[in-house]
Amino acid sequence: MSTTATEPTPAPVPADSPRSQASARRRLDPNRPSTLSRWGVIAILTLSAVYFLLPLWWMVMASIKPGGRQFEEPGLWFNGFDFFGNVKALLEINDGIFPRWMLNSIAYAGISAVIGTLLSAMAGNALAKYRFRGRGLVFGIILAAVLIPKVMFTLPLFLMFNSVGLLNNPLAVILPSVVSPFGVYLARIFAAQSVPDEVIEAARIDGASEGKIFFRLSVPMMAPALVTIFLFQCVEVWNNYLLPLMVLNDTSMQPVTVGLVGWAGSNGQQAPAGLIIVGAFLSVIPLVVAFLSLQRFWPAGLTAGAIK
Amino acid sequence: MTTPTLRTSGGARRRATRSAWLFLLPFALLFLLMYLVPLGFAVVQSLFKLQRSGLGLSAPTLTFDPAFNYGRLFGDADFIASLGRVVVFGVVQVPIMLGLALFLALLIDSRSAKLKGFYRLAAFLPYAVPGVISAVMWSFLYSPVTSPLNNALQDAFGFTLPFFSESWVLWSVANIVTWGWTGYNMLIIYSSLQTVPTEVIEADRLDGASSWRIAWSIKIPMVRPALILTTILSIIGSAQLYNEPAVLQPLSGGTITKTFTPLMSAQAQAAAQNYPYAAAQAVVIAVLVGVLSITFFKITNRGDK
Amino acid sequence: MQRKKATAVFAAGAAILSLTLAACGGGSGSANTSTSGSASGASSSATGGYPAAAKEITFWGWAPGYDKAVEAFNSSQSAIKVKYEEISPGAKGGYEKMLNSVKANQGTCLAQVGYETLTSFAAQGALEDVSSYAKSSESEFAPGAWNSVKIGEAVYGAPVDQGPMALFYNKKVFEKYGIAVPTTWAEYQAAGKTLKEKSSGKVSLTSSYLNYDFAGFTWQASAPWFGVEGDSWKVSISSDATNKVSAYWDGLVKDGVISKAPMWDQSWYTGLSDGTIATHVGAVWIAGILKGDAKGGSGDWAVAPMPQWNAGDTAVGNVGGSASAVLKGCSDPEAAWTFAHWMSTDKDAFAGLVDSAALYPAATALLDLPALAKEDPYFGGQKIFDVFKDASGKVVTGWTWGPNMPETVKTLDDQLGKTWSGTQTFEEATKATQEKTVSDLKAQGLSVAE
Repeated sequence: MSTTATEPTPAPVPADSPRSQASARRRLDPNRPSTLSRWGVIAILTLSAVYFLLPLWWMVMASIKPGGRQFEEPGLWFNGFDFFGNVKALLEINDGIFPRWMLNSIAYAGISAVIGTLLSAMAGNALAKYRFRGRGLVFGIILAAVLIPKVMFTLPLFLMFNSVGLLNNPLAVILPSVVSPFGVYLARIFAAQSVPDEVIEAARIDGASEGKIFFRLSVPMMAPALVTIFLFQCVEVWNNYLLPLMVLNDTSMQPVTVGLVGWAGSNGQQAPAGLIIVGAFLSVIPLVVAFLSLQRFWPAGLTAGAIK
Repeated sequence: MTTPTLRTSGGARRRATRSAWLFLLPFALLFLLMYLVPLGFAVVQSLFKLQRSGLGLSAPTLTFDPAFNYGRLFGDADFIASLGRVVVFGVVQVPIMLGLALFLALLIDSRSAKLKGFYRLAAFLPYAVPGVISAVMWSFLYSPVTSPLNNALQDAFGFTLPFFSESWVLWSVANIVTWGWTGYNMLIIYSSLQTVPTEVIEADRLDGASSWRIAWSIKIPMVRPALILTTILSIIGSAQLYNEPAVLQPLSGGTITKTFTPLMSAQAQAAAQNYPYAAAQAVVIAVLVGVLSITFFKITNRGDK
Repeated sequence: MQRKKATAVFAAGAAILSLTLAACGGGSGSANTSTSGSASGASSSATGGYPAAAKEITFWGWAPGYDKAVEAFNSSQSAIKVKYEEISPGAKGGYEKMLNSVKANQGTCLAQVGYETLTSFAAQGALEDVSSYAKSSESEFAPGAWNSVKIGEAVYGAPVDQGPMALFYNKKVFEKYGIAVPTTWAEYQAAGKTLKEKSSGKVSLTSSYLNYDFAGFTWQASAPWFGVEGDSWKVSISSDATNKVSAYWDGLVKDGVISKAPMWDQSWYTGLSDGTIATHVGAVWIAGILKGDAKGGSGDWAVAPMPQWNAGDTAVGNVGGSASAVLKGCSDPEAAWTFAHWMSTDKDAFAGLVDSAALYPAATALLDLPALAKEDPYFGGQKIFDVFKDASGKVVTGWTWGPNMPETVKTLDDQLGKTWSGTQTFEEATKATQEKTVSDLKAQGLSVAE
């Protein structure tokens, strides 16, 4: 997979895939696509890229304009530069609440994903590597849970936390985020694929305990897959809005999603609209940067999951 | 896929069962606490009636009246309308989005495409923007007066789009969802396309099949599992529509009501402190979505047998 | 082989999720450092143990200037330490936050609660009765304001301000197009048409109004929305008197003189700044909004008395006005009342609130504050509070707020939105709100007389 957006290398395929062998043959192919077809495809793809990038382009333009010019024309083009002034204002407004929100998001996403991945790995391992009574039932319930989105449980969770006095406590966000039926599902597939039974059997004969086998043998073998599960959960928690909105009341505890929407809904009293855009832009940057820099992990994820 | 399992003798089997449950325990416990208990809790709450009396100047009390909230719910025109709205939304938006995702995936996969990495990335970038943040961003782009999109359209073509008019507003919301999720779905389909054996395609091509014919009769059937997955995920996504309309609501001039979608309706009841009624709505939504996606899942699987 | 199939479907997802979901790597990289963030997040809620020296209370509000008042209070004495936190305005989520705070036993002591919502809060059991400390202060406040914080014998907080209405207009724009300041609603409508014609549609007379702002118009027209008859509520959101107001605003919508900018949106502030929205009929505190968020309009704006239905009338409506209400679960209601009373009556503190938020005091002793007699450069040197001083004596009496205003205004906002965009009439909007409110109240078991 190409690591930069402009590099015109072909599709990301593991070196030994049938595709890459075919590409050698392709060069000799007499039956190559016509010029018309090539330009047609490029035109449509470019149009789609404009659709996907235009709103982000506007956000970048608005973020670098000096404060107050965000809603003046030209909206989609450069008009002065004061990005760093904007960032400084954003970091200082309301006693520095914005960086606090960013840290909160990182904390909630990081903690939930670490614990969640471990729980998923353990449960997936149990489902893949042990034959026991009730296994089918457990797996069925987990599959059903995958099909009912978590947001549906937000209000019930709120009611429950309310009655046990866990409202306005970070645990009210972290505990539900730790549970990921989809993570268990993935872990089960990955464990079945990447941990050979023979290795486990051999370790047992050597007298290793089940816990030791899991942590010393299975976990390292599943590592690439666990990174996948970790990232999956991370994104989910980072994007979470309704749950923290409902269960966290203290502004200083909220994640960046709730905080920014709160600003947007404050009649412009807590932060000027221009700064909200800058905040939105900054809140997206970590995800985009991480996403770009982690492109090299994609093939690993592919081979781990796509063998089927 | 088969599940390889260790062959075990009787004593070892009991040991295996115990170990398996020990590994499952932490997850199972939290699953119970964070999924089943809240749902049960909501069901119990929904069976009570929030009761005030006279001028209502003293705190309300709860009385057990199992049918009350559910009865009210089926006569609640706003709630019923919100259900209808997301059905319309799903029926139109999901096929459009997935059609677009499939189309783009096939184009990027085609031999005519250049800069594949760039186009894939462009489509996928919106996914990196959290749903509510993207809604906040679009709320500025749709702004009734200062919309940069409308300003640009006005300058270039002399017309503007009524993003918040009664007939447009649902599709303005649909556009945000489509913008955010097409790339995600496209990547699922695209990655599935990568597993189509090239030999099959090359053989057909040498037989003179056109690219479209190859796409239609070979590639699309091969990515069917990916299409089913994305369809299920998208149906679920439609049913839980909340962030985008909730963020746009204050700007919409009333075309997005506070009960625009079922989840917004339940939230509005919670905001009005009518928790039993909110709980009843949440329970009904969860059951409907569960039944819907499990049914869809079963139908698509049965069709395959 | 159903499960096998299921697995295949999800395996496709697994493949991609693995590549797509790399997006959150930022979280992964910083996961180690993040623990501290969460820990400090937790500690901020742990305000349980007060130092013996000072009683600490938390105060939530959104009016500009409250933060300064709190600072002044904290530095003026050492027995009570007030922690101020700015939250979203009540109708924009602030009230929900307060009720949740009560539910969560968060211990928030004081909150800015509009008079219109106080009854609803009391009905939820969300307020603390502080009459034992507060009773003796009754004579310090304007009777209307005091009645707003009192239900039966209970007193729930200290009244802060009142919201008499007036006409804010962009004098520069009016002069440019040669329009006289309207004194009646008929003249106001005529001014709108003239503005539209002479500016070839660029300048709008005004923008759309939300719930309580619209209620202010019917307040002026002696059309109270609620009343109490014996032990029952009387709901009269839809009435002949309201219909008169409704028909008038339908006319303005039809004339096309209402801006598309939604009230409180950044486009609204932009319109107020650059003169494309020429007037706003609103409460005194709108002056603070203009000064804070429509800075571009500085020097252009002026204030005139509220337009009348008949020339020579002197009826005035009211929008807002709020109290510092003591929330249920406050650990020290006496300290809360002490601060609330101080903020509402201290001359220096309130002078600051007049300057930053244009609050008009509820305490009678403050009515001759020098800050209320100042020439304001934003309003071209006009002494705007003279207008409001006059108006506050003419606010129509007999207005009562209902027992579940958050739900009522939820419906009203949805309905008004449709009306401003021209798809229904105000009469239909108020009728629908009336019906929904009555059925909601009945569904909760309240008795409603129709």
